[in-house]
Amino acid sequence: MALSPPSGSRTRFAILMVASVTLIVVGLRDVPIVRNAREGAARALDPVENAVDTVTSPVRNAWHGVTDYDEVKAENERLRARVADAESQKVAGADAEKQLADLSKVLDLPFAGRLPKVTARVVSGPRSNFSHAVEIDKGRKDGLKVGMPAAAAAGLVGKVTSVTDSSATVQLITDPEFRVGVRLATKGSLGTARGQGRDEPLIVDSSINPQTKVPKGTGLTTSGIDTSTFPPGVPIGTVQRVRTGSGGLSLELVVKPLVDVDQLSYITVLKWEPK
Amino acid sequence: MRTGRAVGLRAVLVVAVVLVVQATLMADLRVAGALGDLVLVLVVAAGLTGGPDRGATYGFAAGLAYDLLLDTPFGLSPLVYALIGFVVGLVGMALLRTSGWWPVAIAAAAGLAQAVLYTALGNLLGVAYRFADVPAIGLVQAAWAALLILPALKVMWWVHGHNEPDRLEVLLR
Repeated sequence: MALSPPSGSRTRFAILMVASVTLIVVGLRDVPIVRNAREGAARALDPVENAVDTVTSPVRNAWHGVTDYDEVKAENERLRARVADAESQKVAGADAEKQLADLSKVLDLPFAGRLPKVTARVVSGPRSNFSHAVEIDKGRKDGLKVGMPAAAAAGLVGKVTSVTDSSATVQLITDPEFRVGVRLATKGSLGTARGQGRDEPLIVDSSINPQTKVPKGTGLTTSGIDTSTFPPGVPIGTVQRVRTGSGGLSLELVVKPLVDVDQLSYITVLKWEPK
Repeated sequence: MRTGRAVGLRAVLVVAVVLVVQATLMADLRVAGALGDLVLVLVVAAGLTGGPDRGATYGFAAGLAYDLLLDTPFGLSPLVYALIGFVVGLVGMALLRTSGWWPVAIAAAAGLAQAVLYTALGNLLGVAYRFADVPAIGLVQAAWAALLILPALKVMWWVHGHNEPDRLEVLLR
């Protein structure tokens, strides 16, 4: 068995390797030509994507019916239980809702609805096993810009990373490269949350003293401090576990996101830009 | 034998169709949280039918085009796919003399190798891809690649043509 390539092949392979490494270096510098090329490719794919999305939806639905059957069944049971629970809380909730609405008016809570929003349909999930972004069917024409936060009813989904006239890419909070400044709902302590990949919790590196008690279930919202790229008060998740950070000088929080990014059909982009 | 221009046009068409299907239909067909990788199947088929030269060239070109549709580090896909196309071409040249089932085994191995290589090189570039995800991604990619490699070889023969049946085609008959 001979595994030695002809010398011509070796030369061509070496050229391709050098070219690939050059592209990586260029890509790491975030040069405009790469951004523009990616935007051009997304623009070219838009009409095809919408057409294929319509034509292939029966295939995808059938596939999900087969692969997600157990999950759908369990979800159905959970929802039935939740509906029953919601019925009983309805009366008590009505009063609480009025109070919250009044309070929102006074405090002008950012996530309570004063920000202009655009709701978009998710037309494509992550396109590879190493991608953590979804495509939505709204773009520049609808006022979307790179950096705008994206949310679902439960909380933060991610942020817009590229925009064409009629579509946009949203980087999900589960992306290992995603970072967001967070605030602990009850303590007010600040930290930075980072994604860890699909189906994984977020990790929050905080400056909280390791002696501090952070109860399981404590909520986290975006901090919205001066340099933040997100508005304040957008819910992110709840504390699942607490552990001591590296060096033992702070706490590291394991946070379960409020939004299941695998089940997104629609996303709301908040038309908010950092000051 | 086809002219270079006809081959080029067919190759561009095949890469474009593969990318569109990968970015649209395949992106929704997850098994155990992972996707099949049609670009990989194409690159393996190129390596098996045309040797390391063709494998690496398809790997680089298709990887570069795929990268334009992704949010992953730019340049990583051409590097990984060119490497895989080259190695598959070399291994294929040596092993295909023995059995017609080698393409299936090689395609499955390439599915696993791609997951390992992409995760490792991504981490080298500072992206914290989890090695714990490699088995699921690798196995799903391997299964899809094993399933689709035979039709993919036929597509490659359609693109490049040949005067007489080549060794691989004879073995697969």
